[in-house]
Amino acid sequence: MKSEDQDKMSEKNLDAELVAQAKQGKMAAFELLVNRYQQRVANVISKFVKDRHEIQDVAQEVFIKVFRALPNFRGDSSFYTWIYRIAVNTSKNHLVAKSRRIQNTQVEFEDAESFGSNEDFRNLDTPDAVYSRGELEQTMSKAIAQLPEDLKKAIVLREVDGMSYDEIALEMNCPIGTVRSRIFRARDAIDQALRPLLEDENMRKQHVR
Amino acid sequence: MSDKSKQNISDLMDGELSNDCSRFLLKRMQSDETLKSSWNSYHMLRSCLQQENDAPLMQNLGESVVQKLNSNVVMEPIKTGRFNGWAKSLTGSAIAASVALVAVFTFNQNQNVPNADALPVYAKTSQQFINPPNATAVRVEQTQGLTRYPSLTPQIQQYLSERNNQPQIPVYYNVEHVNRMINQSRLKAQQITAEE
Repeated sequence: MKSEDQDKMSEKNLDAELVAQAKQGKMAAFELLVNRYQQRVANVISKFVKDRHEIQDVAQEVFIKVFRALPNFRGDSSFYTWIYRIAVNTSKNHLVAKSRRIQNTQVEFEDAESFGSNEDFRNLDTPDAVYSRGELEQTMSKAIAQLPEDLKKAIVLREVDGMSYDEIALEMNCPIGTVRSRIFRARDAIDQALRPLLEDENMRKQHVR
Repeated sequence: MSDKSKQNISDLMDGELSNDCSRFLLKRMQSDETLKSSWNSYHMLRSCLQQENDAPLMQNLGESVVQKLNSNVVMEPIKTGRFNGWAKSLTGSAIAASVALVAVFTFNQNQNVPNADALPVYAKTSQQFINPPNATAVRVEQTQGLTRYPSLTPQIQQYLSERNNQPQIPVYYNVEHVNRMINQSRLKAQQITAEE
């Protein structure tokens, strides 16, 4: 059992492997890394920046900075701890820059009055993109709600409570193989539900290009 | 794509896949769009479950980041105005010109120092910074001209006086000296008016 565990690539080692490949200039590896941490970074940024569209811009800026600073990442701390610091600093800098921009920009009185409350005024996305993002979130929530109870419990214990497969097996009183299978089936069900939407979006992106 | 490959992706992201399989799968995912898409969907589910109230659901941010990096778009700070550049350089030039002007005027005043044969003045070295801890402060008798560098050691003052006939550091560094000069000139003026 112990040797099996030692043979596994831990999440920390997985990050290290992806970082090593990204350092070699493999952009596809960096893409996998970004998608792995995008939400956690967005959650951190949202503590400082309240506008949802700005959060996405800042998140993008964070990962660009991360890529440029990759040669400095020695792996002493975990990858997430490192990008967490970058995310906090970038968010703070964003707020400072934004306050300067607002000071230097003359906004009409009527616009300024409605700026805080009017979501559309700040919306820089196209209506299509906003619609598809909303649709994606709805489809995802619906698919999660429709999962069988044992799959839902397994995936929530893993993703929300951060339990290991061993711990989930103990919690759910089932073999570890069953846990593995339940978690995979939950993920696959969501993948199947999202696939048509994602394919549509890819098609639309290709048309735009 | 087989279910086995997808299950391997699921295991990989949880750190439950063997080292060899993980490396192989990572390599494949970078070239296989379907595998990459599954990786993204599985992480989107993670995002949805870990999403906090104020944050939007992030979806395939990696693609746009990589696109931006590939297109080499550098995020530059926003320039506040068109004239910002030359206004800055103009301000810089103005400051430099005024400093030069002040330096020229003070140098001219230096040359008008009337009497250098006054009483001897003592310069004291800075014990904390120049001398070793157990060394004592040295008092050196000097001529009037050398006291323009009160913070320097006597040796350096000597060296400067040998190198330069005229003092190089503007006189306003030595306030006492200037005051003395002013008093002397006032006295002289009073004497002249008294004689008249």
